[in-house]
Amino acid sequence: MDIAVSPDIVFIILTTVTILAAIMALQAKELIYGAISLAISFIGIAGFFVFLDAPYLAMLQIAVYVGAVVVLILFTIMLVRREVVGETEEREEGGEGSMGLWIAGLLAVSIAGVAALAGPDLPAAPPTAFLPISQLGPVLATAYPVPLVILALLMSAALLGALVLAKLEK
Amino acid sequence: MLVVMFLTWYERKILARIQLRIGPLYAGGPGGILQPIADGVKLIFKEVMIPYKANKPLFIWIPLALVFFAALPFAVIPFGQHWVIANLDVGLVFVFAMTSLFPSMILIFAWASNSKYPFLGGLRSLFQQVAYEIPMWISALSIVLLAGSLNLVDIVNAQQKIWFIVPAILSFIVFFVSIMAELERLPFDLPEAEPELVAGWYTESSGAIFMVLFLALYMKLYLMSSLVTVLFLGGWWGPAFLPQPVWFILKTLIVATFIIIPRGVYPRIRVDMLIRIGWTRLLIIALANVFLTVLLLNTGVLSLWGL
Amino acid sequence: MVALSSYLIVSAALLGIGVYGLSVKKNAMRLLFAIEIIVNAANLNFAAFTRYMNPPQVSGQVIVFYSIAAAAMEAAVGLALILVAFRLNSSIDVRKLNKLKG
Repeated sequence: MDIAVSPDIVFIILTTVTILAAIMALQAKELIYGAISLAISFIGIAGFFVFLDAPYLAMLQIAVYVGAVVVLILFTIMLVRREVVGETEEREEGGEGSMGLWIAGLLAVSIAGVAALAGPDLPAAPPTAFLPISQLGPVLATAYPVPLVILALLMSAALLGALVLAKLEK
Repeated sequence: MLVVMFLTWYERKILARIQLRIGPLYAGGPGGILQPIADGVKLIFKEVMIPYKANKPLFIWIPLALVFFAALPFAVIPFGQHWVIANLDVGLVFVFAMTSLFPSMILIFAWASNSKYPFLGGLRSLFQQVAYEIPMWISALSIVLLAGSLNLVDIVNAQQKIWFIVPAILSFIVFFVSIMAELERLPFDLPEAEPELVAGWYTESSGAIFMVLFLALYMKLYLMSSLVTVLFLGGWWGPAFLPQPVWFILKTLIVATFIIIPRGVYPRIRVDMLIRIGWTRLLIIALANVFLTVLLLNTGVLSLWGL
Repeated sequence: MVALSSYLIVSAALLGIGVYGLSVKKNAMRLLFAIEIIVNAANLNFAAFTRYMNPPQVSGQVIVFYSIAAAAMEAAVGLALILVAFRLNSSIDVRKLNKLKG
Protein backbone atom coordinates (compact mmCIF):
# COMPACT_ATOMS: atom_id res chain seq x y z
CA MET A 1 0.00 0.00 0.00
CA ASP A 2 1.65 3.12 -1.17
CA ILE A 3 0.38 6.19 0.60
CA ALA A 4 1.62 9.40 -0.88
CA VAL A 5 2.67 11.56 2.01
CA SER A 6 4.06 15.02 1.58
CA PRO A 7 7.42 15.89 3.08
CA ASP A 8 6.79 19.53 2.52
CA ILE A 9 6.83 21.16 5.92
CA VAL A 10 4.79 24.19 5.00
CA PHE A 11 2.06 21.99 3.67
CA ILE A 12 1.96 20.09 6.92
CA ILE A 13 1.76 23.25 8.95
CA LEU A 14 -1.00 24.56 6.74
CA THR A 15 -2.94 21.34 7.06
CA THR A 16 -2.63 21.30 10.81
CA VAL A 17 -3.70 24.90 11.16
CA THR A 18 -6.68 24.53 8.87
CA ILE A 19 -7.97 21.35 10.42
CA LEU A 20 -7.41 22.50 13.97
CA ALA A 21 -9.13 25.77 13.24
CA ALA A 22 -12.08 23.93 11.71
CA ILE A 23 -12.41 21.76 14.78
CA MET A 24 -12.09 24.75 17.05
CA ALA A 25 -14.74 26.57 15.06
CA LEU A 26 -17.22 23.94 16.07
CA GLN A 27 -16.01 23.17 19.53
CA ALA A 28 -15.04 26.53 20.95
CA LYS A 29 -16.95 27.60 24.00
CA GLU A 30 -17.76 31.06 22.81
CA LEU A 31 -19.31 31.56 19.42
CA ILE A 32 -17.02 34.46 18.71
CA TYR A 33 -13.92 32.37 19.22
CA GLY A 34 -15.51 29.87 16.91
CA ALA A 35 -16.00 32.56 14.29
CA ILE A 36 -12.39 33.66 14.58
CA SER A 37 -11.25 30.06 14.22
CA LEU A 38 -13.42 29.74 11.18
CA ALA A 39 -11.72 32.80 9.72
CA ILE A 40 -8.33 31.24 10.41
CA SER A 41 -9.47 28.07 8.73
CA PHE A 42 -10.56 30.06 5.69
CA ILE A 43 -7.18 31.73 5.51
CA GLY A 44 -5.64 28.29 5.68
CA ILE A 45 -7.70 27.17 2.71
CA ALA A 46 -6.59 30.27 0.88
CA GLY A 47 -3.04 29.16 1.57
CA PHE A 48 -3.88 25.83 -0.03
CA PHE A 49 -5.15 27.64 -3.07
CA VAL A 50 -1.87 29.45 -3.35
CA PHE A 51 -0.10 26.11 -3.20
CA LEU A 52 -2.32 24.93 -6.01
CA ASP A 53 -1.22 27.74 -8.30
CA ALA A 54 -4.51 29.55 -8.02
CA PRO A 55 -3.55 32.86 -6.45
CA TYR A 56 -6.59 34.64 -7.73
CA LEU A 57 -8.81 32.12 -6.03
CA ALA A 58 -6.84 32.53 -2.84
CA MET A 59 -7.32 36.28 -2.84
CA LEU A 60 -10.96 35.85 -3.73
CA GLN A 61 -11.37 33.42 -0.89
CA ILE A 62 -9.88 35.84 1.58
CA ALA A 63 -11.76 38.81 0.27
CA VAL A 64 -15.14 37.10 0.08
CA TYR A 65 -15.06 34.63 2.91
CA VAL A 66 -12.96 36.28 5.52
CA GLY A 67 -13.78 39.79 4.47
CA ALA A 68 -17.49 39.46 4.06
CA VAL A 69 -18.91 36.20 5.36
CA VAL A 70 -17.01 36.34 8.63
CA VAL A 71 -18.14 39.91 9.11
CA LEU A 72 -21.71 38.81 8.61
CA ILE A 73 -21.26 35.96 11.01
CA LEU A 74 -19.74 38.19 13.66
CA PHE A 75 -22.51 40.63 13.19
CA THR A 76 -25.18 38.00 13.58
CA ILE A 77 -23.49 36.55 16.63
CA MET A 78 -23.52 39.91 18.26
CA LEU A 79 -27.14 40.42 17.48
CA VAL A 80 -28.15 37.02 18.74
CA ARG A 81 -26.54 37.19 22.14
CA ARG A 82 -28.28 38.37 25.29
CA GLU A 83 -29.80 35.67 27.35
CA VAL A 84 -29.10 33.05 24.74
CA VAL A 85 -25.45 32.88 25.67
CA GLY A 86 -25.80 30.40 28.48
CA GLU A 87 -27.76 27.59 26.96
CA THR A 88 -26.34 27.53 23.48
CA GLU A 89 -22.84 26.87 24.62
CA GLU A 90 -23.61 23.45 26.01
CA ARG A 91 -21.93 20.81 24.04
CA GLU A 92 -23.91 17.84 22.86
CA GLU A 93 -22.98 14.83 24.93
CA GLY A 94 -24.36 11.36 24.82
CA GLY A 95 -25.69 9.13 22.10
CA GLU A 96 -26.15 11.74 19.44
CA GLY A 97 -22.63 12.97 19.82
CA SER A 98 -20.85 9.72 19.45
CA MET A 99 -23.01 8.58 16.56
CA GLY A 100 -22.26 11.79 14.75
CA LEU A 101 -18.61 11.20 15.38
CA TRP A 102 -18.84 7.69 13.99
CA ILE A 103 -20.68 8.74 10.86
CA ALA A 104 -18.42 11.63 10.11
CA GLY A 105 -15.36 9.64 10.97
CA LEU A 106 -16.33 6.78 8.70
CA LEU A 107 -17.10 9.16 5.89
CA ALA A 108 -13.83 10.99 6.18
CA VAL A 109 -11.75 7.87 6.59
CA SER A 110 -13.34 6.14 3.65
CA ILE A 111 -12.75 9.05 1.32
CA ALA A 112 -9.27 9.59 2.62
CA GLY A 113 -8.60 5.91 2.29
CA VAL A 114 -9.66 5.89 -1.34
CA ALA A 115 -7.49 8.89 -1.98
CA ALA A 116 -4.52 7.39 -0.29
CA LEU A 117 -4.88 4.00 -1.89
CA ALA A 118 -5.28 5.49 -5.31
CA GLY A 119 -2.20 7.53 -4.70
CA PRO A 120 0.09 6.16 -7.33
CA ASP A 121 -2.65 6.08 -9.93
CA LEU A 122 -3.47 9.73 -9.64
CA PRO A 123 -1.92 12.07 -12.16
CA ALA A 124 1.37 13.51 -11.14
CA ALA A 125 1.77 17.24 -11.02
CA PRO A 126 2.37 18.86 -14.38
CA PRO A 127 5.54 20.92 -14.25
CA THR A 128 4.06 24.33 -14.89
CA ALA A 129 0.42 24.61 -14.15
CA PHE A 130 0.20 28.26 -13.33
CA LEU A 131 -3.02 29.50 -14.83
CA PRO A 132 -2.61 33.15 -15.56
CA ILE A 133 -5.42 35.31 -14.44
CA SER A 134 -5.77 36.75 -17.91
CA GLN A 135 -7.11 33.42 -19.04
CA LEU A 136 -9.75 33.22 -16.39
CA GLY A 137 -11.64 36.27 -17.48
CA PRO A 138 -12.11 35.42 -21.14
CA VAL A 139 -13.02 31.86 -20.27
CA LEU A 140 -15.66 33.05 -17.88
CA ALA A 141 -17.12 35.41 -20.39
CA THR A 142 -17.03 33.25 -23.48
CA ALA A 143 -17.34 29.65 -22.41
CA TYR A 144 -19.46 30.10 -19.34
CA PRO A 145 -21.68 33.09 -19.84
CA VAL A 146 -24.77 31.36 -18.56
CA PRO A 147 -23.38 30.65 -15.10
CA LEU A 148 -22.22 34.24 -14.86
CA VAL A 149 -25.64 35.59 -15.57
CA ILE A 150 -27.24 33.08 -13.26
CA LEU A 151 -24.77 34.08 -10.59
CA ALA A 152 -25.73 37.69 -10.99
CA LEU A 153 -29.41 36.89 -10.75
CA LEU A 154 -28.78 34.67 -7.75
CA MET A 155 -26.89 37.44 -6.04
CA SER A 156 -29.67 39.90 -6.57
CA ALA A 157 -32.17 37.38 -5.29
CA ALA A 158 -30.06 36.61 -2.24
CA LEU A 159 -29.58 40.27 -1.50
CA LEU A 160 -33.25 41.05 -1.75
CA GLY A 161 -34.16 37.96 0.20
CA ALA A 162 -31.83 38.74 3.03
CA LEU A 163 -33.07 42.30 3.14
CA VAL A 164 -36.68 41.26 3.23
CA LEU A 165 -36.07 38.61 5.83
CA ALA A 166 -34.20 40.87 8.12
CA LYS A 167 -36.77 43.59 7.72
CA LEU A 168 -39.82 41.51 8.43
CA GLU A 169 -41.27 41.52 11.93
CA LYS A 170 -40.05 45.07 12.45
CA MET B 1 10.05 45.64 7.46
CA LEU B 2 12.70 48.19 8.21
CA VAL B 3 11.57 50.17 5.21
CA VAL B 4 8.06 50.19 6.55
CA MET B 5 9.14 51.29 9.97
CA PHE B 6 11.21 54.05 8.51
CA LEU B 7 8.42 55.17 6.27
CA THR B 8 5.96 55.31 9.08
CA TRP B 9 8.31 57.32 11.23
CA TYR B 10 9.04 59.64 8.38
CA GLU B 11 5.44 60.03 7.59
CA ARG B 12 4.51 60.75 11.14
CA LYS B 13 7.01 63.54 11.19
CA ILE B 14 5.41 65.00 8.15
CA LEU B 15 2.04 64.59 9.76
CA ALA B 16 3.21 66.41 12.80
CA ARG B 17 4.43 69.22 10.65
CA ILE B 18 1.20 69.31 8.74
CA GLN B 19 -0.87 69.37 11.83
CA LEU B 20 1.07 72.33 12.95
CA ARG B 21 -0.10 74.02 9.86
CA ILE B 22 -3.72 73.13 10.22
CA GLY B 23 -4.77 73.49 13.75
CA PRO B 24 -3.53 72.49 17.15
CA LEU B 25 -0.01 73.43 17.93
CA TYR B 26 1.89 70.41 19.17
CA ALA B 27 4.60 71.21 21.64
CA GLY B 28 7.79 69.37 21.05
CA GLY B 29 11.36 69.58 19.98
CA PRO B 30 12.58 71.90 17.29
CA GLY B 31 9.66 72.69 15.07
CA GLY B 32 7.59 69.85 16.38
CA ILE B 33 9.63 67.27 14.56
CA LEU B 34 10.35 65.28 17.66
CA GLN B 35 6.70 65.06 18.50
CA PRO B 36 6.05 61.55 17.21
CA ILE B 37 9.00 60.21 19.10
CA ALA B 38 7.72 61.85 22.22
CA ASP B 39 4.31 60.41 21.53
CA GLY B 40 5.71 56.97 21.11
CA VAL B 41 7.73 57.14 24.27
CA LYS B 42 4.84 58.45 26.27
CA LEU B 43 2.50 55.79 25.01
CA ILE B 44 4.89 53.02 25.87
CA PHE B 45 5.10 54.20 29.41
CA LYS B 46 1.42 54.73 29.89
CA GLU B 47 -0.30 52.13 31.89
CA VAL B 48 -2.01 49.51 29.83
CA MET B 49 -5.50 49.40 31.25
CA ILE B 50 -7.69 46.58 30.20
CA PRO B 51 -11.29 47.06 31.14
CA TYR B 52 -13.01 44.74 33.54
CA LYS B 53 -14.30 41.59 31.93
CA ALA B 54 -12.76 42.56 28.67
CA ASN B 55 -11.18 39.94 26.55
CA LYS B 56 -7.50 40.06 27.30
CA PRO B 57 -5.97 37.85 24.64
CA LEU B 58 -8.08 39.35 21.88
CA PHE B 59 -7.18 42.82 23.07
CA ILE B 60 -3.54 42.17 22.61
CA TRP B 61 -3.64 40.07 19.50
CA ILE B 62 -6.00 42.06 17.33
CA PRO B 63 -3.96 45.27 17.18
CA LEU B 64 -0.92 43.21 16.29
CA ALA B 65 -2.89 41.43 13.61
CA LEU B 66 -4.09 44.79 12.33
CA VAL B 67 -0.55 46.03 12.01
CA PHE B 68 0.47 42.83 10.30
CA PHE B 69 -2.27 43.03 7.71
CA ALA B 70 -1.69 46.71 7.18
CA ALA B 71 1.99 46.20 6.55
CA LEU B 72 1.64 43.10 4.40
CA PRO B 73 0.33 44.72 1.22
CA PHE B 74 3.42 46.87 1.08
CA ALA B 75 5.18 43.81 -0.21
CA VAL B 76 3.34 44.06 -3.50
CA ILE B 77 3.41 47.80 -4.01
CA PRO B 78 6.15 48.78 -6.42
CA PHE B 79 8.30 51.69 -5.39
CA GLY B 80 10.20 51.66 -8.60
CA GLN B 81 10.63 49.65 -11.75
CA HIS B 82 12.38 46.86 -9.93
CA TRP B 83 11.78 47.92 -6.40
CA VAL B 84 9.00 45.57 -5.52
CA ILE B 85 9.27 42.79 -3.02
CA ALA B 86 6.76 40.37 -4.48
CA ASN B 87 5.52 40.89 -7.97
CA LEU B 88 2.23 39.11 -7.70
CA ASP B 89 0.21 38.73 -10.82
CA VAL B 90 -2.86 39.43 -8.81
CA GLY B 91 -1.27 42.18 -6.78
CA LEU B 92 -4.26 44.47 -6.77
CA VAL B 93 -6.64 41.80 -5.58
CA PHE B 94 -4.16 40.96 -2.86
CA VAL B 95 -4.25 44.50 -1.55
CA PHE B 96 -8.00 44.59 -1.64
CA ALA B 97 -8.30 41.24 0.06
CA MET B 98 -6.11 42.51 2.86
CA THR B 99 -8.13 45.66 3.24
CA SER B 100 -11.30 43.66 3.44
CA LEU B 101 -9.93 42.00 6.54
CA PHE B 102 -9.89 45.23 8.50
CA PRO B 103 -13.59 45.63 9.21
CA SER B 104 -13.89 42.20 10.77
CA MET B 105 -10.86 42.74 12.96
CA ILE B 106 -12.15 46.08 14.07
CA LEU B 107 -15.47 44.54 14.92
CA ILE B 108 -13.82 41.86 17.02
CA PHE B 109 -11.74 44.44 18.76
CA ALA B 110 -14.71 46.63 19.48
CA TRP B 111 -16.60 43.69 20.88
CA ALA B 112 -13.62 42.63 22.95
CA SER B 113 -13.78 45.89 24.85
CA ASN B 114 -16.94 44.62 26.43
CA SER B 115 -18.54 47.99 26.90
CA LYS B 116 -21.35 49.56 24.99
CA TYR B 117 -19.90 52.70 23.57
CA PRO B 118 -16.79 51.40 21.90
CA PHE B 119 -18.93 48.63 20.52
CA LEU B 120 -21.37 51.06 18.99
CA GLY B 121 -18.48 52.94 17.51
CA GLY B 122 -17.15 49.68 16.17
CA LEU B 123 -20.45 48.91 14.51
CA ARG B 124 -20.56 52.28 12.86
CA SER B 125 -17.02 51.93 11.72
CA LEU B 126 -17.88 48.54 10.32
CA PHE B 127 -20.80 49.92 8.36
CA GLN B 128 -18.71 52.71 7.03
CA GLN B 129 -15.76 50.66 5.95
CA VAL B 130 -17.75 47.87 4.42
CA ALA B 131 -19.95 50.29 2.56
CA TYR B 132 -17.05 52.07 0.97
CA GLU B 133 -15.12 49.01 -0.03
CA ILE B 134 -17.35 48.50 -3.00
CA PRO B 135 -16.97 51.89 -4.69
CA MET B 136 -13.29 51.45 -4.05
CA TRP B 137 -13.17 48.12 -5.84
CA ILE B 138 -15.26 49.27 -8.74
CA SER B 139 -13.31 52.42 -9.36
CA ALA B 140 -10.16 50.36 -9.25
CA LEU B 141 -11.85 48.08 -11.76
CA SER B 142 -11.86 50.86 -14.34
CA ILE B 143 -8.16 51.26 -13.78
CA VAL B 144 -7.68 47.59 -14.37
CA LEU B 145 -9.63 47.91 -17.58
CA LEU B 146 -7.32 50.67 -18.69
CA ALA B 147 -4.16 48.87 -17.77
CA GLY B 148 -5.25 45.41 -18.82
CA SER B 149 -3.70 43.70 -15.84
CA LEU B 150 -4.07 43.21 -12.13
CA ASN B 151 -0.35 43.32 -11.70
CA LEU B 152 0.64 46.52 -9.95
CA VAL B 153 3.89 46.80 -11.86
CA ASP B 154 2.04 46.48 -15.14
CA ILE B 155 -0.44 49.09 -14.06
CA VAL B 156 2.30 51.56 -13.38
CA ASN B 157 4.07 50.66 -16.57
CA ALA B 158 0.96 51.34 -18.57
CA GLN B 159 1.00 54.89 -17.30
CA GLN B 160 4.14 55.83 -19.11
CA LYS B 161 2.48 58.17 -21.50
CA ILE B 162 -0.28 59.47 -19.38
CA TRP B 163 -1.30 59.17 -15.79
CA PHE B 164 -4.52 57.31 -15.32
CA ILE B 165 -5.99 60.17 -13.41
CA VAL B 166 -6.76 61.89 -16.69
CA PRO B 167 -8.94 59.35 -18.45
CA ALA B 168 -10.34 58.06 -15.20
CA ILE B 169 -10.90 61.28 -13.36
CA LEU B 170 -14.29 60.18 -12.07
CA SER B 171 -12.95 57.01 -10.59
CA PHE B 172 -10.13 58.97 -9.04
CA ILE B 173 -12.64 61.08 -7.19
CA VAL B 174 -14.61 58.05 -6.10
CA PHE B 175 -11.51 56.21 -5.02
CA PHE B 176 -10.20 59.14 -3.09
CA VAL B 177 -13.43 59.66 -1.23
CA SER B 178 -13.73 55.95 -0.50
CA ILE B 179 -10.25 55.90 0.90
CA MET B 180 -11.05 58.72 3.22
CA ALA B 181 -14.06 56.81 4.40
CA GLU B 182 -12.09 53.63 4.82
CA LEU B 183 -9.51 55.31 6.90
CA GLU B 184 -12.08 57.07 9.04
CA ARG B 185 -10.65 60.41 8.26
CA LEU B 186 -12.67 63.53 8.41
CA PRO B 187 -15.18 64.27 7.12
CA PHE B 188 -16.01 60.66 7.81
CA ASP B 189 -14.85 60.79 11.33
CA LEU B 190 -17.84 59.30 13.05
CA PRO B 191 -16.38 56.41 14.96
CA GLU B 192 -13.76 58.62 16.44
CA ALA B 193 -14.77 62.00 17.62
CA GLU B 194 -18.43 61.96 18.33
CA PRO B 195 -19.32 63.45 21.68
CA GLU B 196 -21.22 60.41 22.74
CA LEU B 197 -18.63 57.89 21.76
CA VAL B 198 -15.46 59.36 23.22
CA ALA B 199 -12.90 57.86 20.94
CA GLY B 200 -15.00 55.28 19.19
CA TRP B 201 -13.96 51.72 18.85
CA TYR B 202 -10.59 52.19 20.37
CA THR B 203 -11.77 54.00 23.47
CA GLU B 204 -10.59 51.35 25.83
CA SER B 205 -7.18 50.77 24.38
CA SER B 206 -4.47 52.65 26.19
CA GLY B 207 -0.74 52.72 26.33
CA ALA B 208 1.05 50.22 24.23
CA ILE B 209 -2.10 48.88 22.70
CA PHE B 210 -3.10 52.26 21.44
CA MET B 211 0.33 52.81 20.04
CA VAL B 212 0.10 49.65 18.03
CA LEU B 213 -3.33 50.62 16.77
CA PHE B 214 -2.07 54.05 15.92
CA LEU B 215 0.72 52.50 13.96
CA ALA B 216 -1.72 50.31 12.08
CA LEU B 217 -3.94 53.27 11.32
CA TYR B 218 -1.17 55.35 9.88
CA MET B 219 0.21 52.46 7.97
CA LYS B 220 -3.16 52.08 6.39
CA LEU B 221 -3.10 55.72 5.50
CA TYR B 222 0.24 55.36 3.85
CA LEU B 223 -0.86 52.20 2.11
CA MET B 224 -3.89 53.86 0.65
CA SER B 225 -1.96 56.88 -0.46
CA SER B 226 0.58 54.74 -2.22
CA LEU B 227 -2.24 52.81 -3.81
CA VAL B 228 -3.64 56.03 -5.20
CA THR B 229 -0.22 56.89 -6.50
CA VAL B 230 0.18 53.55 -8.18
CA LEU B 231 -3.27 53.41 -9.68
CA PHE B 232 -3.80 56.98 -10.72
CA LEU B 233 -0.72 59.06 -10.52
CA GLY B 234 1.72 57.02 -12.47
CA GLY B 235 3.70 55.33 -9.73
CA TRP B 236 7.30 56.12 -10.19
CA TRP B 237 7.36 57.81 -13.57
CA GLY B 238 8.90 61.21 -13.52
CA PRO B 239 11.68 63.14 -15.12
CA ALA B 240 14.89 61.27 -14.63
CA PHE B 241 16.75 63.67 -12.46
CA LEU B 242 15.44 61.98 -9.35
CA PRO B 243 15.63 58.23 -8.76
CA GLN B 244 12.37 56.40 -9.15
CA PRO B 245 11.53 55.56 -5.58
CA VAL B 246 11.92 59.17 -4.61
CA TRP B 247 9.28 60.16 -7.10
CA PHE B 248 7.02 57.53 -5.71
CA ILE B 249 7.44 58.64 -2.14
CA LEU B 250 7.01 62.22 -3.17
CA LYS B 251 3.74 61.57 -4.90
CA THR B 252 2.52 59.41 -2.07
CA LEU B 253 3.25 62.13 0.42
CA ILE B 254 1.37 64.63 -1.65
CA VAL B 255 -1.62 62.34 -1.70
CA ALA B 256 -1.32 61.77 2.02
CA THR B 257 -1.27 65.49 2.53
CA PHE B 258 -4.48 65.85 0.64
CA ILE B 259 -6.04 63.19 2.79
CA ILE B 260 -4.94 64.83 5.99
CA ILE B 261 -5.87 68.38 5.17
CA PRO B 262 -9.64 68.00 5.16
CA ARG B 263 -9.43 66.88 8.73
CA GLY B 264 -9.16 70.44 9.81
CA VAL B 265 -11.42 71.83 7.21
CA TYR B 266 -14.70 70.02 6.78
CA PRO B 267 -17.46 69.33 9.26
CA ARG B 268 -18.50 65.80 9.94
CA ILE B 269 -21.10 63.91 7.99
CA ARG B 270 -24.07 62.23 9.62
CA VAL B 271 -23.97 58.50 9.67
CA ASP B 272 -27.00 57.76 7.55
CA MET B 273 -25.98 60.30 4.98
CA LEU B 274 -22.58 58.75 5.00
CA ILE B 275 -23.85 55.30 4.25
CA ARG B 276 -26.30 56.55 1.71
CA ILE B 277 -23.60 58.39 -0.16
CA GLY B 278 -21.46 55.31 -0.21
CA TRP B 279 -24.02 52.88 -1.45
CA THR B 280 -25.90 55.04 -3.89
CA ARG B 281 -24.03 58.00 -5.22
CA LEU B 282 -20.50 56.72 -5.15
CA LEU B 283 -21.44 53.33 -6.44
CA ILE B 284 -23.27 54.80 -9.37
CA ILE B 285 -20.48 57.15 -10.20
CA ALA B 286 -18.00 54.30 -10.04
CA LEU B 287 -20.09 52.13 -12.30
CA ALA B 288 -20.61 55.01 -14.69
CA ASN B 289 -16.90 55.41 -14.85
CA VAL B 290 -16.45 51.77 -15.72
CA PHE B 291 -18.86 52.11 -18.60
CA LEU B 292 -17.17 55.27 -19.71
CA THR B 293 -13.83 53.55 -19.65
CA VAL B 294 -15.08 50.66 -21.69
CA LEU B 295 -16.54 53.10 -24.15
CA LEU B 296 -13.34 55.03 -24.43
CA LEU B 297 -11.29 51.92 -24.84
CA ASN B 298 -13.48 50.52 -27.53
CA THR B 299 -13.66 53.64 -29.57
CA GLY B 300 -9.93 53.85 -29.57
CA VAL B 301 -9.74 57.31 -28.12
CA LEU B 302 -7.13 56.24 -25.68
CA SER B 303 -4.89 54.65 -28.24
CA LEU B 304 -3.31 58.04 -28.54
CA TRP B 305 -1.55 57.26 -25.36
CA GLY B 306 -0.84 53.67 -26.05
CA LEU B 307 -3.69 52.27 -24.06
CA MET C 1 6.02 18.60 -4.78
CA VAL C 2 2.96 17.57 -2.87
CA ALA C 3 1.02 14.66 -4.22
CA LEU C 4 -2.62 14.98 -5.10
CA SER C 5 -3.77 12.47 -2.53
CA SER C 6 -2.52 14.66 0.29
CA TYR C 7 -4.89 17.40 -0.76
CA LEU C 8 -7.70 14.91 -1.04
CA ILE C 9 -7.01 13.60 2.41
CA VAL C 10 -7.15 17.11 3.83
CA SER C 11 -10.36 17.71 1.97
CA ALA C 12 -11.84 14.50 3.29
CA ALA C 13 -10.84 15.42 6.84
CA LEU C 14 -12.52 18.78 6.52
CA LEU C 15 -15.59 17.10 5.12
CA GLY C 16 -15.66 14.80 8.11
CA ILE C 17 -15.37 17.71 10.50
CA GLY C 18 -18.13 19.53 8.74
CA VAL C 19 -20.46 16.55 8.71
CA TYR C 20 -19.76 15.95 12.37
CA GLY C 21 -20.63 19.52 13.15
CA LEU C 22 -23.74 19.42 11.05
CA SER C 23 -25.08 16.28 12.64
CA VAL C 24 -24.17 16.91 16.24
CA LYS C 25 -24.29 20.60 17.06
CA LYS C 26 -27.50 22.18 18.10
CA ASN C 27 -26.55 25.80 17.83
CA ALA C 28 -27.75 27.20 14.55
CA MET C 29 -24.64 29.32 14.12
CA ARG C 30 -22.41 26.30 14.48
CA LEU C 31 -24.44 24.51 11.87
CA LEU C 32 -23.69 27.38 9.55
CA PHE C 33 -20.01 27.09 10.39
CA ALA C 34 -20.18 23.41 9.58
CA ILE C 35 -21.82 24.10 6.23
CA GLU C 36 -19.13 26.58 5.34
CA ILE C 37 -16.45 24.10 6.28
CA ILE C 38 -18.00 21.49 4.03
CA VAL C 39 -18.19 23.91 1.12
CA ASN C 40 -14.58 24.85 1.67
CA ALA C 41 -13.59 21.22 1.65
CA ALA C 42 -15.33 20.78 -1.69
CA ASN C 43 -13.63 23.88 -3.08
CA LEU C 44 -10.28 22.55 -2.01
CA ASN C 45 -11.06 19.31 -3.75
CA PHE C 46 -11.97 21.05 -6.98
CA ALA C 47 -8.93 23.25 -6.90
CA ALA C 48 -6.66 20.30 -6.27
CA PHE C 49 -8.04 18.37 -9.18
CA THR C 50 -7.79 21.38 -11.45
CA ARG C 51 -4.15 21.67 -10.72
CA TYR C 52 -3.27 18.06 -11.18
CA MET C 53 -4.99 17.43 -14.44
CA ASN C 54 -2.92 17.08 -17.53
CA PRO C 55 -3.15 19.62 -19.21
CA PRO C 56 -4.41 21.94 -16.48
CA GLN C 57 -7.93 23.06 -17.06
CA VAL C 58 -9.20 26.43 -16.14
CA SER C 59 -12.75 25.21 -15.76
CA GLY C 60 -11.99 23.91 -12.31
CA GLN C 61 -11.10 27.38 -11.16
CA VAL C 62 -14.29 28.66 -12.66
CA ILE C 63 -16.17 26.15 -10.58
CA VAL C 64 -14.39 27.24 -7.44
CA PHE C 65 -15.02 30.88 -8.27
CA TYR C 66 -18.68 30.17 -8.66
CA SER C 67 -18.76 28.06 -5.54
CA ILE C 68 -17.17 30.76 -3.39
CA ALA C 69 -19.68 33.30 -4.58
CA ALA C 70 -22.65 30.98 -4.17
CA ALA C 71 -21.58 29.89 -0.70
CA ALA C 72 -21.17 33.48 0.40
CA MET C 73 -24.66 34.31 -0.76
CA GLU C 74 -26.06 31.25 0.93
CA ALA C 75 -24.36 32.23 4.15
CA ALA C 76 -25.90 35.68 3.95
CA VAL C 77 -29.39 34.33 3.48
CA GLY C 78 -28.84 31.71 6.15
CA LEU C 79 -27.76 34.35 8.61
CA ALA C 80 -30.80 36.41 7.84
CA LEU C 81 -32.91 33.33 8.53
CA ILE C 82 -31.18 32.82 11.84
CA LEU C 83 -31.86 36.41 12.76
CA VAL C 84 -35.53 36.07 12.00
CA ALA C 85 -35.79 32.76 13.84
CA PHE C 86 -34.12 34.32 16.82
CA ARG C 87 -36.50 37.22 16.82
CA LEU C 88 -39.47 34.92 16.81
CA ASN C 89 -38.30 32.29 19.25
CA SER C 90 -35.63 34.02 21.32
CA SER C 91 -33.41 31.07 20.77
CA ILE C 92 -31.13 29.64 18.16
CA ASP C 93 -31.20 26.17 19.55
CA VAL C 94 -32.39 24.08 16.66
CA ARG C 95 -34.22 21.72 18.93
CA LYS C 96 -36.51 24.60 19.80
CA LEU C 97 -36.87 25.76 16.24
CA ASN C 98 -38.71 22.79 14.91
CA LYS C 99 -42.14 24.34 14.67
CA LEU C 100 -43.28 25.65 11.36
CA LYS C 101 -45.66 28.22 12.69
CA GLY C 102 -44.74 31.88 12.63
